[in-house]
Amino acid sequence: MFLFPVYKTEETTLSDNELVSWIASRKKKAMKALVERYKKRAYYLALGMVGNTDEAYDISQEAFIRVFKSAHTFDPNQQFFPWFYSILRNLCLNCLQRRQNRESRDVALDDCEYLLEADSNPETAVIQKEQVQRIRKALMRLDPDDREIIAMKHFRDCSYDEIAGLLKIQKGTVMSRLYYARKKLAKLLIDDE
Amino acid sequence: MNDKKHYTMLSGYVDGELTPEQVVEFERHLADDPELRKELDTFRMLKEVTGAVKYTDIPESVWQGYWESLYRKLERGTGWILLSISVILFLGIGAYCLCMDFFLNADTPILLKIAVGTGILGLIVLLVSVIRERLFAYNRDRYKEVTR
Repeated sequence: MFLFPVYKTEETTLSDNELVSWIASRKKKAMKALVERYKKRAYYLALGMVGNTDEAYDISQEAFIRVFKSAHTFDPNQQFFPWFYSILRNLCLNCLQRRQNRESRDVALDDCEYLLEADSNPETAVIQKEQVQRIRKALMRLDPDDREIIAMKHFRDCSYDEIAGLLKIQKGTVMSRLYYARKKLAKLLIDDE
Repeated sequence: MNDKKHYTMLSGYVDGELTPEQVVEFERHLADDPELRKELDTFRMLKEVTGAVKYTDIPESVWQGYWESLYRKLERGTGWILLSISVILFLGIGAYCLCMDFFLNADTPILLKIAVGTGILGLIVLLVSVIRERLFAYNRDRYKEVTR
């Protein structure tokens, strides 16, 4: 008789929910499998919100650490990634809040490392660089909610169903939020010209 | 109201997320609404402009070390908690020894002892917390080499 279930399956073939339930009993291999599966997605989603590579990296790791610590509270009837994303999103919002407080105290430090780079083509490099700067600037001036949905669609190419699942909203709401976010972004870009 | 609906459908149209019926409805409306056509052009331009840029890639070596660095953080988190508890206990015992006369004095009201004791404990916890925060902030401060 075993005190704990014996898993003979490779961790990589287990479903997300199986891995999380395994993590709840502090299994390092399950943690690693989950991290390997979602690290890039987590990082890029965080990057879309905070617009800073170092912070996005730290936040994505912190989100995984929170998952490990609270795996026992995960409801196996729900999907893993939207649950994980809500943790990640809160961490991003906290980071933006801290940054706002810090910037209001210490305006001299430009903390806003930007998130995008153009495809390198020497002939159009200068124009591209200017274009990228304008987009970066406009993106960072959007509200976090608008920036989040724009980043998901424009830079991660998520479908409306994926966005709806992650943000826990209706597909129609995705369409309307994207509409208003795009309008704001277009206005910022036009005003900057 | 109906107009607003068609305007919000614009995003779905640009992204190819409308059903065939919605596309027909939208295009019928588009033919009669020059303002909507103007917005459609703006959205297409926006898609083109943002499509020309991409996220900065992280080197593969960094991705390879992602799990190791995460696991180190996880272990260190536990270490920090234990260390904090230990320091709080040491400082608490130290403070108690220093104020032993006060705490053992039978004439001192018990409420006063509780108030002083919790006050000292609170100060110790705050002190440890501030030191921890300073240490974390220092390690993450990318401007620490900059002389102000």
